[in-house]
Order: sequence, then structure tokens, then C-alpha cells
Amino acid sequence: MANRTYEVMYIVNPETADETVAKLNEAVGKLIEKEGGSIVRMDDIGRRPMAYQIEKKREGYYVLFEIEGSGQEIAELERRMRVNDMIMRYITVRVDEERKAADKRRAKREARTAKRTKFRPAAAEASAEA
Amino acid sequence: MAEKEMDIIDERGLDVGEDVIGDRPRRYQRRRPRQVVPEYVDWKDVDYLKQFIPERGKIMPRRISGISAKDQRRIAKAIKRARSVALLPFVAD
Repeated sequence: MANRTYEVMYIVNPETADETVAKLNEAVGKLIEKEGGSIVRMDDIGRRPMAYQIEKKREGYYVLFEIEGSGQEIAELERRMRVNDMIMRYITVRVDEERKAADKRRAKREARTAKRTKFRPAAAEASAEA
Repeated sequence: MAEKEMDIIDERGLDVGEDVIGDRPRRYQRRRPRQVVPEYVDWKDVDYLKQFIPERGKIMPRRISGISAKDQRRIAKAIKRARSVALLPFVAD
């Protein structure tokens, strides 16, 4: 139950001063830690054009967090993000299960190539190159 | 034959969208390029996902992308996530 991994991305209004964004990010980090989560990774992507306009703006300031925790901190974080005017959009994605599935898939694929190499060494090499 | 096959694919190409191509019957050549979809499809990897969205911004149907149903679902999900934070367009024009 306890350990879940989430990716949280949010878009800050691009008109916000950089220092304010930095402060906001810091506050987010603190909040997560206070609620019992831990930050695996924090990526300040910065300003980039958006694929469509949000609040009549063409670009946004992107920030990405990778968080590990129980889910409680996510609930609290989302609540705060919703009321924060600077944050134009956010998304939370739970990634631990998908990563586990990916590992499984990888293992399966590797097993298959290993099997192939055993029977047809030449063919497997060719496909490995491609 | 091979050439003709290519032709058809090109014509229905990426952006033609709906399959109304004159009065020709809707018959699709099975093209399975056996594309390898990575084990983990990252919804933030815009450059990768872009290859599955033709100009209009729609998600490429499976019959054109030629990937497995399972992979298509994963790709579609990733695209939808990316759309919600404006990494990818819902409609592009």
C-alpha cells in the first residue's frame, strides 16, 4: 500500500516571475515531504510552447515531479494545485504499476530473444542489428 | 504488386483520415511492419508519440500504424495524457 510512484506535472502561468516559480516548486516539495512522501526527481522543464492555448496563452512553464508515497500527499497536493491561480493545468500519473508491467514485458522479450539465439544464432543477430 | 501496395497505403496515408476513397471497396492490405513498441511508453516523450499522430492531430488508427492492439492501447493512453497538459494537440490545424 505504502509505496506508490507518481509523476506530477504542472503548468505554471508563463507570466509568473522565475523566482516565484522557484518558490512555488519549493513549497510543493516541502508539502510533499510534510505529508510523508519523498521526491525521487524534480525536473524544472521551463517555458515551452503548448500544443493549444490555455487561458489564452501559448506557452507555459512546465514542472515535473516524481514522487513516492502513499497517495495521501497527492490528494493534498492536488487540492492545493486546484486553488492555486498560478497553476494553469496539472496531471498526476501513477507510474509504478506501468513500470512493473514494462519490466515484465522486457523480461519476456529478452527470454524470447535468448531462446531464438539458441536455435537460430544467425537470425537473431540480424534482428538485433535492425 | 509490391509497388501497388505501397501506393494504396500512401493514398490512404496519414492524413486522409476517414476511409472514403472514392467508390473503392474498403479493403485494407494487411501491412504489419512489426514495429517494436518500447516496453514503457512514456507519456512525456512527445517526439516518440508524434509518430502516431498525423497532421490533423488524431490518433493514428491501428490499421495504418500496424501495431498490436495491446500496444495501440498503450500508445493511445500516452497520447491522451500528453494532450491533457498541452504537450500534444487535441486538434491541430
